[in-house]
Amino acid sequence: MRFDYFLLAVNSIRHRKLRSWLTVVGIVIGVAAIISLITISRSLESTLEQQFETFGANRIFVSGKGFQGPGTQSNGLTIEDVETIEKISGIEYVAPGLFRSAEVKYKEETGFTLIGGLPAEQYEKFYADGGLKTTEGRFIQEDEKYVAVIGSRVAEKMFSKEIGVGNKIEINKLNFKVVGVLEEIGNAQDDNQINIPLDAAREVFAEPEKVDMIIAQVKSGTDIPDMQEKIEKALERKRGDTSFEVVTATQILEQINQVLGVMQIVLVGIAAISLLVGAIGIMNSMYTSVLERTKEIGIMKSIGARNPDILWIFLIEAGLIGLVGGVLGSALGTGMALGIGPIAKEAGFPLIVQVEMPVLVLGLLFAFIVGMVSGILPAYQASKMKPVDALRYE
Amino acid sequence: MSSLIKLENVHKVYRLEGGEVPAINGISLSINQGDFVALIGPSGSGKSTAMNLVGCLDTASKGNIFLGKHNIQHLSESDLAQVRGKQIGFIFQTFNLIPSLNALENVALPMMFQNVSRSVRMSKAQKLLEQVGLANRMGHLPNQLSGGQRQRVAIARALVNDPEIILADEPTGNLDTKTGEEIMKVLKGLNEQGKTIILVTHNPDLTKLANKVIKLKDGKIIGNSKSSVGGKNESS
Repeated sequence: MRFDYFLLAVNSIRHRKLRSWLTVVGIVIGVAAIISLITISRSLESTLEQQFETFGANRIFVSGKGFQGPGTQSNGLTIEDVETIEKISGIEYVAPGLFRSAEVKYKEETGFTLIGGLPAEQYEKFYADGGLKTTEGRFIQEDEKYVAVIGSRVAEKMFSKEIGVGNKIEINKLNFKVVGVLEEIGNAQDDNQINIPLDAAREVFAEPEKVDMIIAQVKSGTDIPDMQEKIEKALERKRGDTSFEVVTATQILEQINQVLGVMQIVLVGIAAISLLVGAIGIMNSMYTSVLERTKEIGIMKSIGARNPDILWIFLIEAGLIGLVGGVLGSALGTGMALGIGPIAKEAGFPLIVQVEMPVLVLGLLFAFIVGMVSGILPAYQASKMKPVDALRYE
Repeated sequence: MSSLIKLENVHKVYRLEGGEVPAINGISLSINQGDFVALIGPSGSGKSTAMNLVGCLDTASKGNIFLGKHNIQHLSESDLAQVRGKQIGFIFQTFNLIPSLNALENVALPMMFQNVSRSVRMSKAQKLLEQVGLANRMGHLPNQLSGGQRQRVAIARALVNDPEIILADEPTGNLDTKTGEEIMKVLKGLNEQGKTIILVTHNPDLTKLANKVIKLKDGKIIGNSKSSVGGKNESS
């Protein structure tokens, strides 16, 4: 007989079209917000993970304390540290790098971007290990000096005119010939980088000795945390201090995920608030519906409806409003998340949006339950009404 | 004749903010199966309250009400609902149809609460609507029907679970004289088929069809007469 109650509920919802739709909209917004935010932040997580897998799974990054990523100054690593790390067994090769910002000039236009300097002879292997390719031209070769391989956004977006292979750019007043353009990596920072040989970078930044970051490529199959410890110990012994940091790609990813986690909680919290507002909307609508149909409740009771019958009719109605809101909200939320993909790509971050079935099911279930729960109180009140009082209501 | 409905010293007091208001003040009466009883009295006399008590829509403050062998004062709300659904059919002055359901669905609704299957409900409701002359109005919503038609739908609904008792509270009050007479004829016909009918009215003209007239005033019975014309017992 529950199916009959379902039909009755559908009938009553259809009879009050506008009010029902307005209530549904409240739920739609809440569910859409939750679905889209969860989908986007989970996609963000998995996209970053993929990037790290191809890019830095077997790499250990050593930097001086105070060097908080490319663009900030380090105060301590030297070529001696590079040699120390090179001697550790299990290391395939070590790339000392300078990463600093500089003024870049192209055809009378100037810009400001990150310059990366690695030893010329290591570029090819370094990029190959990271799974990177050029879309145009080639990598930097051994013994080259005033040449540059530019990131995809440097080539396409930095200046009004696109830069191609063979063009000349000026970095801190020194002329460089572009020999290659990298394919899109997927994050704005890497795609905005200009790569030049370390010797040239030393000249550009007037930095004859120091190294900003040492990237150690570990032989595949080696235990990464173990290597991390070995590097830390060797450097400590040799330098006699601990003013350096050794991190693995996994650790960086973990840090990012932590930040993402906090962000996710905040976003879902905001979405939950909007769902709560939707729930109050349902409750309000159900209360009005109960009030409006007090007489109907009396009629139904006079023709034999028991309290549970009335309770079910109203509960199903509330749950149905929730469910319809859930279906539409899930669809809208998924659409919104999918729409973010191209926008993120335009902004320099090719986000791979993945729609996850469990998230959708959760959204639907959640909406249905919210509907039912907000319907409980009004429905209970409706069911408890004395038939004679309900019938008298006008 | 076995008494179908029996009231023993029934009181009903309404508790309002200003104090207690007695609506029924010690009524005792007995109604037999097949009776056509008219409850008559001015407004405020307690006739509607009495009908509500007999119809299990309300509970008495004091006294006993028997429907058949059962004292309904001792029944739970759920059991009272079952009594209303199975043994009693209501006809109201304002028809009391569900506005969002069409005539057929309105008539079929009481059977839903008795767990009757959909196909049986629909065919039975259809048959009853045909009987009350609304075969071509089944798909109409209440607001697409005239007052007389609505009351016919209500009568069909009251009959659908085959109750022993029909309670009619001013069934012609919202109808013109001619339509009212037609509705009264339908009620009379039902009485002739063996239904016990309790008619609540303030219109003395309508009592002529009844075989028993009970006059109420200020919550008390002031007259209990047998009509010589109406009623199944006498007329057959």
